[in-house]
Amino acid sequence: MIKSPNKKIGYSVFILGLVLFPALADPKWLAIGSTFLIFSVVGLSEDIILGKGGMFNMGHALFFGIGAYTAAIANHTFGIPILYAIPLAILIPALCGIILAGPIIHLRGDYLLVATIGFNIVFLQLVENDIFGVTGGPNGIFGLDTPTFLGIDLASPTAIYYLGVAVLLLTFFIMANLDKSKAGRALHYLRLDELAASSIGINTRGYKIFAFGLGAGIAGLAGVLLAIQYSAVSPEAFNFMQSVLFFSIVLVGGSSLPGILMGTFVMFVLPEIFRDFATWRYFIFGFAMILAMILRPEGIFPARFGKIPDYFKKG
Amino acid sequence: MNKKKNIMFEVKDLEVSYGSIKAIKGISIQVAKGEIVTILGANGAGKTTTLRTISRLHDSNAGTILFKGEDITKTPAHKIVSMGISHSPEGRRIFGILTVEENLILGSYSQKSTDKKILNWVYDLFPRLSERKRQLAGTLSGGEQQMLAIGRALMSRPEMLLLDEPSLGLAPILVKAIFKTVKEISQSGVTVLLVEQNAKAALKLADRAYVLEVGKLVLSGTSKELLASEKIQEAYLGKKRREA
Repeated sequence: MIKSPNKKIGYSVFILGLVLFPALADPKWLAIGSTFLIFSVVGLSEDIILGKGGMFNMGHALFFGIGAYTAAIANHTFGIPILYAIPLAILIPALCGIILAGPIIHLRGDYLLVATIGFNIVFLQLVENDIFGVTGGPNGIFGLDTPTFLGIDLASPTAIYYLGVAVLLLTFFIMANLDKSKAGRALHYLRLDELAASSIGINTRGYKIFAFGLGAGIAGLAGVLLAIQYSAVSPEAFNFMQSVLFFSIVLVGGSSLPGILMGTFVMFVLPEIFRDFATWRYFIFGFAMILAMILRPEGIFPARFGKIPDYFKKG
Repeated sequence: MNKKKNIMFEVKDLEVSYGSIKAIKGISIQVAKGEIVTILGANGAGKTTTLRTISRLHDSNAGTILFKGEDITKTPAHKIVSMGISHSPEGRRIFGILTVEENLILGSYSQKSTDKKILNWVYDLFPRLSERKRQLAGTLSGGEQQMLAIGRALMSRPEMLLLDEPSLGLAPILVKAIFKTVKEISQSGVTVLLVEQNAKAALKLADRAYVLEVGKLVLSGTSKELLASEKIQEAYLGKKRREA
C-alpha cells in the first residue's frame, strides 16, 4: 500500500506526530486526540465494508456499539477487567456481523442500506429497553473500572491515548495487509463487477461476509476504547446518526487512509475546536457532503486502484 | 447415437423463475464431450438465464444439472469454475480499469498460479490481445473486448466453455473471426455451449442446436437439420417460405 517515498514520509510524519502529540497537548486536547483515534478506527473498519466491499452498510454504529456494550457488560455485570474483555468485544461483534450479513448479503445497494439501518434501530431499541437487565436502559452503563494491565494502572488520559494509537496502528497494519491479500483483491473485483467476479471463480458471498465480519470486529475493538475513555457507555453514541457519519466519512473522505483520517478529523475534531459552532456541525458537514459529492464524487482522497500484486503473476 | 456414451453435461427438466415469473419452464439439454452445442432464441427466450443457472450465478427452482456425472445443481458458483466450467458472460463484463494481461491473469483466479502456457495459448488464439497486453481493457474495441472475455474464461483451463452471445454488437467480419477461433478452441478439446441470437453464424459453427422460445425448447437437432428446417429459416434466418 505504501509505495512511493513521499507516501512513506507522509505516514512516518503522521505516526511520529501521533506519538509526540501528548507531550504538547493539554488534557482537553488529549481527550480530543483519543476521540479522533477511536473514530478513525471505526471509519477505517467501515471502509472495509463500504469502501473495499462496496456494500452500503448504513448501520455501522451497531458493531461499534456491540463492542462497547460487550466490554461494559463484561466489566459491570461480570466483573471482568475491561482489557481482558477485549477478545470478547472483538469476537461478538464479528460474529454478529457474520450472522446478520448472511441473510442480507445478496441485497444490492439501497436494499442493503435499508436493511442495515433496520439492524441499527433494533439494536438501539434493545439497549434502551434494558434487555436482560444488563444494558442500563436509556442511561447506559456508568462507572466502569479503569483499565489495568499486569497491575499497571492505565487510567490516565495519556495511557488511554496511547492505547488508541496502538489500535489505530494495528488497524493500519490489517488494512495494508488486506490490500495485498487474496481477500482484498477479491473484494476489489467483486465491487467492480460482481457477476464477472463470480464468473472467474471468486467466492463473492464468502468474501462479502468476511468483510462484514472483519469490519465489525475492528469496530467492536474501537467500541472498547470508547467505553474505556468515558468509563461508560450510553445508547445515543451508537444511534443511526452515528452510522450516517461513519458512512459519510468513507464517502466524503474517499476510500483511502488519508481520506478517512481527514473525514474523521472534519467530523469529530473540528466541532471540538470550534466549540461555539458545535451545534452547527451537522449543518457544516451536510454542506461538505453535498459539495464533496458534486466536486469529487469519488471522495476527497479517492482510493487508487492498486495493480495486481506480484505473487499473483508468478507463473 | 454413439454420442450418448460420453455425455459430459446434462440439464434435466430445469425450471428457473424470477420472483413469480417463470423464465425457464422445464428444459433438458445434453452436451457430449468435444461438441459445440448452441442454444438459439430471440430476446427474452431464456438463453442467458439458462447459462447463468448452469454456472450457478442464478438459482434453479427445479430440475438437475449434471457435469461429468456429478450433480452440480446446488454447487456454489466459485466451485463450478474449479470443476471445469467457465462462463464468458453476456456483455463481456471485463474489468475496464485493468490491463488486458491483468484481466487474463484474473481469469486464472481459481488456479493455484497463472499457467504461462495457457496465457501464451490465449495470445496465440487472439494475437490482438497479445499486441495490446499492456493496454487498459476499457480502451479496447468491442470485438477485442469480446476476445478478452473469451480469453479470460479460458484461463481457468475449463473442460466446458459457456459463451453468452459473443456476437453481440459486433460487425459480421468480427463475428466470423471470433467464431473461427471458437472452432479452434473446440478442436483443442474444450466442449462449448454457445448461446446466440445470430442463428446463421451459430448453426454454421455448432454440431447441434436447441431452439428456445419463451422458456421452452421448441426444436432440437443437428445444425444441418436445423439449417434445412423451414421453421428455422423463416423465424431466424429471414428466408421467406417458397410459394407453393
